[in-house]
Amino acid sequence: MTSFNDTRHLWALGAFLAAVGLVGMVVRRELVPDDFGRTGPYRASALDDIAARPSLFQADATCHACHESVEHERAGTLHEAVRCAHCHGHAVEHVATARRAAEDPSIMLPPAAEWDGDFFTKVDLYVTKDRATCLSCHAAVVGMPADFKKIDVALHLEEQGASEPLAKETCFECHGGHDTAP
Amino acid sequence: MSLFELPILPMSATSVAGGCASGGCATGGCASGGCSTARPDQASETSRREFLKTATTLTLGAMSLTLLPGAMAGDESSSATTPPGGSHPQAKKPMYGFLIDTTRCTGAGKCLTACRVENGVPEGQARTWVERYVHFKDGRVEVDLVPEIGYAASGEPQPEAEDVLRAYFVPKLCNQCVDAPCNQVCPVHASIKSPEGIELVDTDRCIGCGYCVQACPYGIRYMNHETNVADKCNWCYHRVMRNEQPACVEACPTGARVFGRIDDPDSEISKRLATLPTSVLKQHLGTIPLTRYVGLTDEVT
Repeated sequence: MTSFNDTRHLWALGAFLAAVGLVGMVVRRELVPDDFGRTGPYRASALDDIAARPSLFQADATCHACHESVEHERAGTLHEAVRCAHCHGHAVEHVATARRAAEDPSIMLPPAAEWDGDFFTKVDLYVTKDRATCLSCHAAVVGMPADFKKIDVALHLEEQGASEPLAKETCFECHGGHDTAP
Repeated sequence: MSLFELPILPMSATSVAGGCASGGCATGGCASGGCSTARPDQASETSRREFLKTATTLTLGAMSLTLLPGAMAGDESSSATTPPGGSHPQAKKPMYGFLIDTTRCTGAGKCLTACRVENGVPEGQARTWVERYVHFKDGRVEVDLVPEIGYAASGEPQPEAEDVLRAYFVPKLCNQCVDAPCNQVCPVHASIKSPEGIELVDTDRCIGCGYCVQACPYGIRYMNHETNVADKCNWCYHRVMRNEQPACVEACPTGARVFGRIDDPDSEISKRLATLPTSVLKQHLGTIPLTRYVGLTDEVT
């Protein structure tokens, strides 16, 4: 007799748990992405999403594909390892336009602007002979490796007898940008 | 115990219900009817134990089936991830490494701008930064951050060279720990350890709780205040997948940052790792970082 009553309770409990389990499974199916767990404990398509982002920082090879003369000019010099982007901007727009222009000759490439002196500049493509550009790398700072070409600006300009030590383009009196050798 | 487990079995997994019934009913009747009154002799003890074992195993097994759909989809996934050509077996995934040579870094900060442009990092935040350690002759050690525009343009007061015993720059970026604490704490599986071993953020899944930011012992992760989700250095995963160099490596003029495949003995990084003594940051934490450093001192953490 007692076992009969127990059974009823157990069936009620079982039905309740079954309902909870069913609701749980439905909710879980809604919340978990379809491709979850395919390659690991994450949404598998996230890898493709991240890998699909565009590469914005241009490698020098991209620039040299068109500007061959500059590649020859820089080959073997101390500035060979300096990236085009450091003195000419990140040229994201410029490269995109140039790629379109390669297929459609009617597209004209706008000329490079002059650097506005801002290191966070929004200018896409620029040219600069500003000493600030040179000194962003070469001004002597404590901590630089011993063999790096660092300069004490005032001393260097005096030693070399610069005609206009305070001029913006004073470095270019002796040095080139692509080939720096005096 | 045994009474409560019986009703769970038929409902939680229909596929196992038949097995449960056949295994459990014979002993179940014994347990419910006999156990309270039966003398604890050897035979009934054994059967109760057997029953508990079977019931518990089946219950937990059935529950785990509902909790882990990934496990049920196991057969499909193994065939689905293998490319049609079968040229890229999982075991042959490339192994990448990152080497920082502190003896070559000049502190120009070109890598910082490159990273910001490449990854759209908001100003005031950073995926990578460069620290400068200055050891003075009087024993003090000072640490400061390289300004992104370079020291010359920043106009910050500089220590006198004659007071300085030794100074060097230490670029910091994600260590891509093999055993990454940031990955382990994510409550929504938005932290991804890619098959190549690179730690990524699934920005669509991230809920911005910031737990990973606190978990990273290297302070690499941050809450992007434009997107309000976690962000971190991912070695420019999108560039690496196209066989390009990460933006900071591409931008470094002195070779202080080297990236490449460490399973290729002819790569630049493999050659340097073979000849230079290297170490990792906070080795005692056991996170097994993949980013290795040349020229670290004990002051660098």
